[in-house]
Amino acid sequence: MALATRIEPSILHKLAKYAPESENSVWADLRAKSLKELNSTAFPHRKIEEWIFTDLRPIVRTDFVPLEEAGTFPATDIEKYFIPESDRSRLVFINGKFHEKYSSIGGLGKGVTVGNLADHSDEEEVQKYLNNLVNYEDDVFVQYNALMFEDGAYIHLEKGAKAEAPIQVLNLYTDAKNPFVATPRMLVVSEEESDVTIIEDHIGLGENRYMTIPVCEVKVKESAHIHHVRIQRDSIDAIHVSRPIAYVEKNSEYHSYTITLGAKLTRNEPRVIQEDEEVDFTLDGLVLIDGEQIADTHSVMDHRFSHADSHQLHKVVVNGKAHSIFNGKIFVRRDAQKIDSFQENRNLLLSDDGLVNTKPQLEIFADDVLCSHGATIGQLDPEEVFYLQSRGMTEEKAKEVLTYAFALETIENVKVESVHKLLIDEVYRYTKANSESKVTV
Amino acid sequence: MLEIKDLHVEVEGEGIEILKGVNLTVNKGEIHAIMGPNGSGKSTLAKIVAGHPEYEVSKGDIMYNGESILEMDPDERAHAGVFLAFQYPVEVPGVTNNTLLRESYNTIAASRGREELDPLEFDDYLRDKLELVDMNPDFLERSVNAGFSGGEKKRNEIFQMAVLEPTLSLLDETDSGLDIDALRIVADGINKLHGEDDAVVLITHYQRLLNYIVPDHVHVMIGGKIVKSGGKELAIELEEKGYDWLETHATVNGEAK
Ligand SMILES: Nc1ncnc2c1ncn2[C@@H]1O[C@H](COP(=O)(O)OP(=O)(O)OP(=O)(O)O)[C@@H](O)[C@H]1O
Ligand SMILES: [Mg+2]
Repeated sequence: MALATRIEPSILHKLAKYAPESENSVWADLRAKSLKELNSTAFPHRKIEEWIFTDLRPIVRTDFVPLEEAGTFPATDIEKYFIPESDRSRLVFINGKFHEKYSSIGGLGKGVTVGNLADHSDEEEVQKYLNNLVNYEDDVFVQYNALMFEDGAYIHLEKGAKAEAPIQVLNLYTDAKNPFVATPRMLVVSEEESDVTIIEDHIGLGENRYMTIPVCEVKVKESAHIHHVRIQRDSIDAIHVSRPIAYVEKNSEYHSYTITLGAKLTRNEPRVIQEDEEVDFTLDGLVLIDGEQIADTHSVMDHRFSHADSHQLHKVVVNGKAHSIFNGKIFVRRDAQKIDSFQENRNLLLSDDGLVNTKPQLEIFADDVLCSHGATIGQLDPEEVFYLQSRGMTEEKAKEVLTYAFALETIENVKVESVHKLLIDEVYRYTKANSESKVTV
Repeated sequence: MLEIKDLHVEVEGEGIEILKGVNLTVNKGEIHAIMGPNGSGKSTLAKIVAGHPEYEVSKGDIMYNGESILEMDPDERAHAGVFLAFQYPVEVPGVTNNTLLRESYNTIAASRGREELDPLEFDDYLRDKLELVDMNPDFLERSVNAGFSGGEKKRNEIFQMAVLEPTLSLLDETDSGLDIDALRIVADGINKLHGEDDAVVLITHYQRLLNYIVPDHVHVMIGGKIVKSGGKELAIELEEKGYDWLETHATVNGEAK
């Protein structure tokens, strides 16, 4: 690091000069540090093991401009994305900027603080955790986000606090004349025995190219519970590079469900790090892609102590020329005994031109461990299709029903009713669109 | 109703001939039983009538209500009233029995120009049908056949038949796997469903089933052909003598391999 070899400046390096000024010393220090790191870190390319399958051309070949020069169009009709359960527990960000006007935070009960990070920068937890939980090494995306973000979602639960409603963190991206980069940020600190459900939603309002780089840090303290649903409905030409990381303390539970529907290129790197014994965590994913979409999930479940139950079901449906990549790392450190870890990546390939790369990666250094893992790539079972057809369903309908059934399993556990319903509708729309595109071909 | 003429069937794309000239006529109101040794082609015959894409007709024809159905998709055949109870019912995880039946019932109803039933009416309708085969309503909310015991799957097939009210039912070894009481219940159900406007083809290995469901005709299939047909006494004769005596018969009359 000392001998900083000259690096080829990427678009992120070039945009770094537009970093905002900050009067606030916490932000200023963070920016200075991030800028230094960014300037000595190279943009990834496909010769690096971790990026070997991922086509980065959509990023590299786009002339992103600073948000101010993007010529953004106003966000209209956004109320339809509000979930009713979060009527009084909602934060709205448009292109990464906080919009108080659309937000509403009155309905959470005692001990719950929800708001814009920028307004909470002097709080102890913010100073302690912000940017200190992300452990992505030499990662230009995290560095860029840390350099650029001004606003962000801040969720804090005091000891024993139970959020009375699910919190919706709604990230909207507007249509624009030129491609821009947004850097949403999120920090969640859930103190002992607290409980909260978070719905993190990313929605593209147009069909334009933009890049969003959400970074989310979550701290789940002793005996706290977090249910975290992440829905990615970015514009069909967007780029979504996200780094959500959670630290789980003794007796805590963290369950996350990531649903990937939009974006031309998605690179999602969820991580869960165990910090003490007796934890229970989930890192499920559902990816539904079509056309020329690329969706890449590189996850880490890091078991560092004994007695953990971890679960990862990652289901993918690929149609058209879409490309799915999955790399699921499971680490079990030397003294982490009695780990019960489940990982399964199931891929349903609906077209001849779709592509799936999957690589479960287990690195286990303890001996009393139960790790089951598997990866399958398959088409719809012709016997199942025939069975349904023999009961009167058309071939298209049978395939639709089977695809729908395949996808549904991963969202069954989403416990906010309207979100569960919304996801069912999304799955339905996807399978429907598929069978219709098949009919017309 | 069903007229199968000199039917030769191969495995699609592999040129392995399984059915080697089957002739069979089934009229309205009749019950036929097909018996025969393992691997003789009974299931293949049932599946090709239902339109299974794995098999290909290389010669001959299948006429249903006077028209060839060879060009019809499996769902179109189902709409026309053909029903196959599978020897090995397929598990369909994630699709509940209820969803399957509602979808099936309504598409078939629509294609026959009948009224679709709204969810409440459909529930009532299902309840009657459940009673017919003495099935627990809990099965409605379970994924189709997933984790069902062997006997439960068979009973579920007949439940589906009861709901869809086909005109030609091909029941492939529905009796295998059923316990003694279940066999009686399911057989009673089939008898109640059968009337003078529909026909049933039973494939079975056991004469016992035919005590409950009395066939008008019994056929013996060996080596991809029907080598003998007769009345219900033929089943009793087979139970006593096995197939050996017919196999020689088949080799003498047919072209032995
Ligand atoms: N897809 C296939 N590929 C190759 N051979 C096949 C295929 N399907 C059926 N066969 C063969 O065709 C023959 C007839 O099979 P079929 O299942 O029709 O027999 P069956 O009379 O129903 O037997 P059983 O009484 O055991 O159910 C068997 O030898 C079987 O192995
Ligand atoms: Mg058979």
